[in-house]
Amino acid sequence: MEFRDYYKILGVERSATADQIKTAYRRLARKFHPDVSKEPNAEARFKEMQEAYEVLKDPPKRAAYDELGSDWKSGQQFRPPPDFGQGYEFSGGPSRARGGRGRARASAQDGAHTQEDFSDFFSSLFGGGSPFAAGGGGGAGRAARDHHARIDITLPEAFAGTTRTLEMKRPQVKADGSMELQTHTVRVTIPAGVTEGQLIRLAGQGEPGAGGGSAGDLYLEAHILPDKRFALDGRDVTLTFPVAPWEAALGAAVTVPTLGGEVAMQVPPGAQSGQRLRLRGRGLPGQPAGDQYVQLKVVLPPASSPQAKALYEEMRAKLAFDPRASETR
Amino acid sequence: MVRVTQVIEAHVLSDRDWIAATEICQLCRIDLDAVLELAALGVVSPRESVPGQWQIPATALPRLKVVGRLMQDLGVNVSGAALALELIEAQRRLESRLRHLERLTSDY
Repeated sequence: MEFRDYYKILGVERSATADQIKTAYRRLARKFHPDVSKEPNAEARFKEMQEAYEVLKDPPKRAAYDELGSDWKSGQQFRPPPDFGQGYEFSGGPSRARGGRGRARASAQDGAHTQEDFSDFFSSLFGGGSPFAAGGGGGAGRAARDHHARIDITLPEAFAGTTRTLEMKRPQVKADGSMELQTHTVRVTIPAGVTEGQLIRLAGQGEPGAGGGSAGDLYLEAHILPDKRFALDGRDVTLTFPVAPWEAALGAAVTVPTLGGEVAMQVPPGAQSGQRLRLRGRGLPGQPAGDQYVQLKVVLPPASSPQAKALYEEMRAKLAFDPRASETR
Repeated sequence: MVRVTQVIEAHVLSDRDWIAATEICQLCRIDLDAVLELAALGVVSPRESVPGQWQIPATALPRLKVVGRLMQDLGVNVSGAALALELIEAQRRLESRLRHLERLTSDY
């Protein structure tokens, strides 16, 4: 595993006081907090910072970490010395799981965000990375389990419903009293019509209760990925739809893509670029279903052939049209 | 490692679903006093199902998660977290509006 320079992560000297460490953490936390930050990799940076602060704010952990020496560099291959932590009593491992994007582990192709414990480096020194570390003498307690995860779904999936496979690791007590890690694969059917930010409850899939109590619920927060064609607003979708000038001017029957497939639509005569036409009930399903707005975009034919140029010339000669008439009055 | 596979049905929560305040507190790692203070600030609208037992609309959970994280990670108090939440949401609305407008103008 790779060594982590916690002082460098927080940008403080090894001689920094507790107050200086706290100030540095607070300053960086404000900058990289995933809820407020626009910095790239803010979530990863923030997790790293939390881990560093977890160690440096705690005198026994910091003292044990300092005993590793100052010659180590971040990224250097590292194995903890066998006598690491001797004479120190650590308490409180990762003070909490970062709930930023949930702790449900799901395969990457499912698009659910995962939440890992602190790094292997931290776990190798202070425990806490594995459920088996719970209750270990001198080791850190197991991180509290989050019950809330974010799940990414595409707009067509939100329209039609979809399934997701989530993997959740849970410690189980075997008949002989020892612990084993079970991977629960849960296939979740997500109904049609889920909107941005909507919560999905998976009953009984949360953290098992203490002392064999019933498990809590797991909540998934839906995040609808941006779509190339449709812009989503609540349950309504907007599609920018190109039309020829004569279709806009004279009206035309056209076929328009919707989330549920193509439908026929009448462009009214005299339509203008930017005008929005509504297809009622063609947005995301629900009570009531959303609408689809078709925003017309008049596309001019290029004047690249003699015939096209002649037609434009004829329009200029015969149509008394000033597109800026209303602005100059 | 043991593998257990099960298929479960998801229940999409709406404005009509309520979660016990105690469960919300556990999920968001905030205490009941903070939830009630957030209610006083207008961030959430709890109801008292029976005297002393509060419930929160399920749709408020993501907001309260943010409040909980801001309080724990940045050390801000309830009022500060509520203010930050409102500013974050306002910023997201503006960014969404900006993206929408940019999309429209890029089409022309």
